[in-house]
Amino acid sequence: MQARRLERVGFNVVTTAIYAFLLAPLVIVVLSALNAGTYLRFPPQGVSVRWFVEFAHSRSFMDSLGFSLRLAAIVTVVATILGTMASLWLTRVSGRFRSALQVLIIAPLAVPGILTGIALLLFFYTLGWRQTGLADLIIGHTLICVPYVVLIVGAVLARQDKTLVEAARNLGAGPLRTFWRVTLPLSKGGIICGAVFAFVTSYDDFNISLLLSGVGATPLPIQLFDYLRFSFDPTPAVAGTISIAITALVVLLVQRLIGLDALYFGKK
Amino acid sequence: MTGIRLDAVTKRFGDAVVVRELTVALQQGELVALLGPSGCGKTTTLRMIAGFEYPTHGSIYLGDRNITTAAPEQRNCGMVFQNYALFPHLTVEQNVAFGLEMRRIPRAETRRRVGEILERMGLAALKHRYPRQISGGQQQRTALARALVTNPGALLLDEPLANLDAALREEMRFYIRSLQQEFRITTLYVTHDQSEALVLADRIAVLMNGVLQQFGTPLDVYHHPQTAAVASFTGLTNLLPACIERRSGDQYLLATRAGPLLAGGPPGLAAGAEVLLSLRPENLQLHPSAVVTDGSGCNRLSGVVRERTFAGSFVDYRVEVAGDVLLRVQAATGVSCQAGETVFVAISPPAAWVVPRGSV
Amino acid sequence: MRPALGRHLLIVPLLTVLSVFFVVPYANMVAISLMEASHRAAYVPVFTISNYTSLIESGFTWGVIWHTLWLGALTTAICLLISYPVAWQMARANSRTRAALMILVIAPLLVGVLIRTYGWMILLQDSGIINQLLRAMGFAPLHLMYNDTGVVIGLTHVFIPFMVLPIASTIQSIDPELELAARNLGAGPWRSFRRVVLPLSLPGVMAGTVLVFVLAVSSYVIPQLLGGFTVLTVPVLVIHTISELFNWPGGSAFAVLFFVITALVIWFYLRTIGRVTHAG
Repeated sequence: MQARRLERVGFNVVTTAIYAFLLAPLVIVVLSALNAGTYLRFPPQGVSVRWFVEFAHSRSFMDSLGFSLRLAAIVTVVATILGTMASLWLTRVSGRFRSALQVLIIAPLAVPGILTGIALLLFFYTLGWRQTGLADLIIGHTLICVPYVVLIVGAVLARQDKTLVEAARNLGAGPLRTFWRVTLPLSKGGIICGAVFAFVTSYDDFNISLLLSGVGATPLPIQLFDYLRFSFDPTPAVAGTISIAITALVVLLVQRLIGLDALYFGKK
Repeated sequence: MTGIRLDAVTKRFGDAVVVRELTVALQQGELVALLGPSGCGKTTTLRMIAGFEYPTHGSIYLGDRNITTAAPEQRNCGMVFQNYALFPHLTVEQNVAFGLEMRRIPRAETRRRVGEILERMGLAALKHRYPRQISGGQQQRTALARALVTNPGALLLDEPLANLDAALREEMRFYIRSLQQEFRITTLYVTHDQSEALVLADRIAVLMNGVLQQFGTPLDVYHHPQTAAVASFTGLTNLLPACIERRSGDQYLLATRAGPLLAGGPPGLAAGAEVLLSLRPENLQLHPSAVVTDGSGCNRLSGVVRERTFAGSFVDYRVEVAGDVLLRVQAATGVSCQAGETVFVAISPPAAWVVPRGSV
Repeated sequence: MRPALGRHLLIVPLLTVLSVFFVVPYANMVAISLMEASHRAAYVPVFTISNYTSLIESGFTWGVIWHTLWLGALTTAICLLISYPVAWQMARANSRTRAALMILVIAPLLVGVLIRTYGWMILLQDSGIINQLLRAMGFAPLHLMYNDTGVVIGLTHVFIPFMVLPIASTIQSIDPELELAARNLGAGPWRSFRRVVLPLSLPGVMAGTVLVFVLAVSSYVIPQLLGGFTVLTVPVLVIHTISELFNWPGGSAFAVLFFVITALVIWFYLRTIGRVTHAG
C-alpha cells in the first residue's frame, strides 16, 4: 500500500512539473513586463510599470494593437455569421456532400498557415491587387476562424433536443420563427464561445498575417516579431501580458457558458 | 363528420415499408388508440399526421382539409411528445402561450386563455417556473396545456405516459381521458401498452409491421380478435390449432387435439378451414373433478394440473388436457387445486373465439 | 420534415468564400510553381518544371528537408512522452478537476505562439533565467538558444495541448471497468495499464502524433526566433525565397514539394502503425 501511495505521489509530482513547464513561459512574460530592470534577472530587481508606459507611448505598438483589435472584431462578426449558418446547415443535412463540406471547412486548420498565407498572397497578386492590407487579412483570418465557430456551435447544436424544433413547428412556428425563438436562444452560449475563439484566433494569428500584412496594416504579432528580431527590451512583454489577461477572461467565460470539459469529453 | 382520416397511407424508408396502405377514419371527438409493439409504425403514422414525415403514397385529411403535404405549422394538430419537448428557456406560462403567440393572438387574450387553462389543470402556481424545476407529472400537464390551449382540430399523443411511474400513470390516464372528453377533441393516442389502450380508447387500431390488423371497440378487439397477432398482443391467450367441422347455430363446432369444442367466431368461415382457437386464461373455469357441473352447452375438458403459481389477485395454472395440450388458466384464489390433481377445464362457447389461421 | 431547398442557402456564403479564397488560391499556387521565375515580375506565365527539378537536384534542399523532418520527429516523440501522463491524469480525473486541467492546457494555446516563444527566449538565452540559475548554483551555462535544442524545446512546448487532448479523449472513452477486470484477473496496476489502457489508447496517440508532427514541420516563428539564423527549416527557407528573394515560383514549388513529402511520410507512418496495431 505504501508503495502504491508513493507511486501515486511520484506520478502527480511528474505531471505537476509538466504543467509548470507548460505555464513557465507565460509566467516569465508577465514577470518581465513588471520587471524594473531591462533584463529579467534572478533574483528579481523590483516591480515597475515603466514598460507599460513605454508600450503606451510607442506609436507603432499602439497602432498595431488598435489594428489587431479592429481586425479581430470584424473577423469575429464575419466568421460567427458564416460559421453559425454553416453549422445549422450541417445539422439538417446528411450524406456524402455534407462530409465533403465538413472536410473543406476544417481544411484551413489542417494545412500549414504559412501555406495558406502564401497561396492568398499569390492569388491576390494574380487578381491584380498589388497592395495587401485590411481586406486581405480579413479574408485570410476568416478562413482559419470559421472552423472554430463551426466546431463549437456544431457541438452545442448536437447536444440540443431535436424534438424542441418539432414542438415549435407543431405549435405554428415556421422555420424562421422556430430558429429565432427556440434554436437561437438555446445556442447562445455556443455562439458566443465560437465568437470568442474566433476573436482570439484572429488576434493571435501570425502565419497568415506574416504574408498578408502591409504598410499601415500590421497586426500586433507581426509588429512584435519584427521588434524581437533586433531589440530585446521587455516592451513586447507588455503585449504578452495583455494577451494573457485576455486569455484568462476568455477561458473563464467559456467555462461558465458551455463547460469546456462536458463539451469536449461529453457528459459523464 | 370525420375528425382525422387516413387513406391508403404508405411510408417507405429506402427498401423498408414501415406503414402499409393504412386506411382508418376517426370520428370527430373520439379517442382512438393506435396500439402495437415497438417498430410497428405507429409513431411514424403519428408523425405523418403531424407533418414531420411525408407519406410515400396516400392522403391524410383533417376534417375536410387535405393536409398530406401541408407544412407542420399549418396543420393545427396539437401534439404531445413522449419527452414533452417543453422549451427549457421559457417558463411554464411562456411555454403554454407559445402556440397562441404563433397565431398572433393579442397579448391580453393570450394571457387570459393561458391563465384559464393553467388554472383548469392545476398549474397556476407554477406559472413562472422553468421545466427543469417542476415534476414529471407537472411537465406532462404543461405539455398537454400547451397543445390544448390553441383549440386544435385534433390532439396527437405519442406514448405520453411512458416516462411516468406506475402510480402516476394510472392517475394521468383518467385525467387525460376526462380532459379529452371535456374538450371533445379528436384524439389519436399512440401506445404499446394494451391495458392503457383498453382503458382509454373509444376504438382501438391495432398495427403490426405497418399493417392494420383490426379497428374496433376495446370489447371487440379483446373478445373478438380478427388475427392471432391481435389476440396475443391484447392479452394473454391460449391459441389452439383447430379445424372447423360445421356451423352450429351462431357458433362453430371444431375438432382439436384436445377434443371437440364449440366456439364463437366471425361469420363466413367454411367447413374444413384450418383455424386457431383463442382461449383467454381468465375465461377458463377450473373445477375439481369431484364437483359436477351441469355442463349444458359448455365445453369441458378433463386434465391434470402441472404447475400452480400464486400471483396475488389470482392463481396461474398450467393444466395438461387431452392430446398433450397445455392450457394456461387464471382462476380466482377461491378455487384451489394442487399440482398433480385431476380437474375439469370449462369454457362457455361465446368466450372461446375462432381466429383465422395464417393471417399476417 | 420536407426538405425545403431554401435551407441550402445557409451554406452558400461559406461555400463561396472557401471556393474562391481557399481552393482557387491553392490551385493558383500550384500553377505558379510550374511557371518561370523572373527578376522583373513575380513570375512569367510560361510552363516549366524547372523549379521542381532544380529543387530535387539540389543537395542543399534535401538537407533542409531532412533537417526539418528530423526536428519534427524529435519534437513529436518528446511531446508524446511528456503529454501522455498528463492526458491520462486528465482523462481519469473527476469532472471538476478535469475542467480545471483543461483550462490549464488550453489557456497557453489562446495566448498565441509568438508570446510563448518570447517567453522561451527570455528563459533560454545565454544570459537568460535558466543560465542565471545554473550559474548561481555553480553549474556551467548551457547553450539553449539559437540552435536545434532551443527550437525543439519551443516546438514541444507549444504543441503539448494538441497531443494531450486527443489522447485524453481516447482514454476517457475506455470503459474503466476493463481495468478493473484486468486487476480481478491478477494484473497489477502497471500491467493492467500496459496491457489494457495503452493499446486501447493508440488511436488517440496516432491522432496526436500526426497532428503535432504536421504542426511542428510547418512552424515558422519558433525556428526563426529560437533558432536565429542558424536553424534552417523548410518554412523559413520558403518564406525567405518568397518574401526576400521574390522568387515566387521557386518558393511555391518548394512549399508544394514539402507538403507532398510530409503527406507521404504521414501516410507511411499511419500504414506502419496500423499494421503493427492490428498484428499486435
